[in-house]
Amino acid sequence: MNDFLFDVIATELEDAVGRENCSTRTIDKITHSVDYFWLSRMWADRGLRMPEGDFIVAPKDAKETAAVLKIANYYKLPVTTWGGGGGTQGGAIPVCGGIVLDTKRMNAIYDFNERGMYIECGTGTIYKHLEWAANERGYATMHYPSSLTCSTVGGFLAHRGIGVSSTKYGKIDDMVLQMEVVLPNGTIIETSPAPKHAAGPDLNQIFIGSEGTLGVITKAQMRIYEQPEARRFRGFLFHNMTDAFNAGRELLQKFKPSVMRLYDEAETASLIKKIVGVERKGAFMNVAIEGVSEMVDLEEKILLSTFGKYGAEDLGSEYGEKWWKEKITFFYPGHMMDIPQCFGTMDTIAPYDKIEKIYWEMKKAVETNFPQAKFIAHFSHWYEWGCMIYDRFIVDGKDVPKDPHEAFRLHQAIWNCGVRTALANGGVVNDHHGVGIKLGRLMKEQYGPAMQVFEGIKKTLDPNGIMNPYKLGL
Amino acid sequence: MNFSKKSQEHLDACRFCWMCRHICPIGNATGQERNTSRARALGLSLVSRGAVEYSEDIINNVYECALCGACVKECVTGWDPVMFTKEARLGAALDGKLPPYVLKMVQAALESGNIYGAKLDEKLAGKIRGLGKSKTLLFLGADARYKTPDNAGEAIDLLQKLGADFTALENEPDSAYGLDFLVGATSETKAAAETCAATLNGYKRVVCYDPADAKTFKREYKEWGVDVKYSVLTFTEYLDIILSDKKIKKSDLVFTPQDSPILARDLEETEPVRRILSKIGSVSEMLLNRRDTMLAGNLVMNEYMPAVMERVAADRWINAKNVGAKILVTESPAEYALLKKTKPADLDVLTIEEAIAKCL
Repeated sequence: MNDFLFDVIATELEDAVGRENCSTRTIDKITHSVDYFWLSRMWADRGLRMPEGDFIVAPKDAKETAAVLKIANYYKLPVTTWGGGGGTQGGAIPVCGGIVLDTKRMNAIYDFNERGMYIECGTGTIYKHLEWAANERGYATMHYPSSLTCSTVGGFLAHRGIGVSSTKYGKIDDMVLQMEVVLPNGTIIETSPAPKHAAGPDLNQIFIGSEGTLGVITKAQMRIYEQPEARRFRGFLFHNMTDAFNAGRELLQKFKPSVMRLYDEAETASLIKKIVGVERKGAFMNVAIEGVSEMVDLEEKILLSTFGKYGAEDLGSEYGEKWWKEKITFFYPGHMMDIPQCFGTMDTIAPYDKIEKIYWEMKKAVETNFPQAKFIAHFSHWYEWGCMIYDRFIVDGKDVPKDPHEAFRLHQAIWNCGVRTALANGGVVNDHHGVGIKLGRLMKEQYGPAMQVFEGIKKTLDPNGIMNPYKLGL
Repeated sequence: MNFSKKSQEHLDACRFCWMCRHICPIGNATGQERNTSRARALGLSLVSRGAVEYSEDIINNVYECALCGACVKECVTGWDPVMFTKEARLGAALDGKLPPYVLKMVQAALESGNIYGAKLDEKLAGKIRGLGKSKTLLFLGADARYKTPDNAGEAIDLLQKLGADFTALENEPDSAYGLDFLVGATSETKAAAETCAATLNGYKRVVCYDPADAKTFKREYKEWGVDVKYSVLTFTEYLDIILSDKKIKKSDLVFTPQDSPILARDLEETEPVRRILSKIGSVSEMLLNRRDTMLAGNLVMNEYMPAVMERVAADRWINAKNVGAKILVTESPAEYALLKKTKPADLDVLTIEEAIAKCL
């Protein structure tokens, strides 16, 4: 782009959002070029500059967002939406330059609606701030991912995030009532006023998980819950994973705990030992029950009798309470995998009849093809019909190629191997981190001819292909 | 720009970590991604790797931090963004790359003894001149003397009313807090500290009206090897001692403390204000209180980013409003000044001395 045209576009964007909210500063371009994706971090660690946006733009609401998208469409400029930048899949990286649309100025709390049990907020709101707003009035959002403090409401919606209490309260897509969305052509729309209806397909679920490829979610009504009277933890040690899956499946036919997390032997012996202090051989499982005290008493009895049938050793409440207290500690630098290690979380999900096989096949595939990689896993989001695997590969720094391009290749090869094994055995591309640029190529492998539905929607809504190009396989 | 090994380790840890972003008062006020510890760390790590120049742009970002320590408190591993931010400021000073708005304040401090380059308010000067001699010095500090002189005067009035034995200095030396904030431990900063300590060493006890000065005397002077012979008390601690054996009729007022980050985190002082407020009325808390407090304003930064400082204070009012608070009570002149400026019509802000004076 020549300097003259650059200035033309810059001044139009400044006119749309205010001069102070349209930046071409180096620091802004850099900070919006590296997200939590391992490849972007590795690139920066090697002293390389990631692809950067040309204009960092922060609209304050749907109207300003619409103005930005109209300018982008006219000049055919790519638009990459950036919430908190805490995503692991490279979804927020402006790989084609253009406009980075930072949503964090859209952080207003519009309505704290105790009658409707929701908060209407701008999607640039940091989720922890939403939690504070709920806590200040005696409520809770019950969305507690490790990235709670890092990420925005819109970020979680854009990639279908999930928190640790999902078994009882659901995923982010269960926690939203209505949304305001700005379409790529600048039209502002609202989804259905209620999330459950028979008024045709669910507009919410078209935009949730669309990762900024179909528009920008600018406002959302997020559910709030009463604080539970009681929250009780119970740790268990299973002799093997099969018993744990069967016990978990049976328990979920009876009631829903809030937290259910099963760690494989490798993760029990590493992370759980380090953070929670369990120094026993076996598969550790932590369960939390919460709600009205009398119900919690009853559910605890059912939990103990159900897990007892499968030979689970009851470790009491201490480890579970420690885990709850330390649930975010796992993710601070110094407690977590970090550069120069090469690592990734290949979370997938499947019904109970497939999930255990997927785990063993992925473990075998990764460990056989990449003997330098360690494979650990836990199972942290459970439903009546199945559960997810949070499986991670870790390659020690000494085994990561010094050449960044070769390190890139190793990373991609492990991902291809792991995800293709999941797909071959009935899993999906991803459970709750999204697709981004990391897994876009594998979307067609999962969906096959069904991918044309997504492509058709994309083509209709975004004919110029400006919205977050090369993400989600679109 | 070369960082110490320790700072390099910390900024390399922080550059890919977002865990403290929610707690940064500046980031919350601006909504700017660059106003996070990880953004500052990422920029500086790229500078240290030679991928980016230590340019005016990156340096400006280093000055968009209030050094309030919320991120340090939040980090369970113990990484310290304040440390590498201060080192980056020192580096900019040593490399002759200070932004003009910083240079102006540094020069003012060197020429006039305060970073604001201001003269003492005549009314306050008169009050100080009226004080007798004492071994206890009330150290007012630059923010109170030059930016909120009415508060400084009220503090003097209250202590007199309570019968305290104290004095103050018309020509009070610079504590070097402002210089330390702007450029860290340069030779000029240390020289100012030495000069200040030489004067203050003539007293047995120094009561700091501004928590920032108490922190500088207690922490920085020690680190810089400045000889301190006097004991240091915060103004709230001093009031707590004086009021401990005084009978005061409890009022119906409900006070909400705005914990100064310096008091709560750097000096670990949170209870004296609550003891005082419980004695004169009752206390209701904000969700983020004590060590978890959120900064409500910084007057040094107000010199170069006033709009952001107003938003920082306004955010704190939202926190207060959400819990139904009616009267915020501050212990820092900077926070008082900015909260007062942004005060919603239906809420009130008082200094600790105003709150006490109301109930005497």
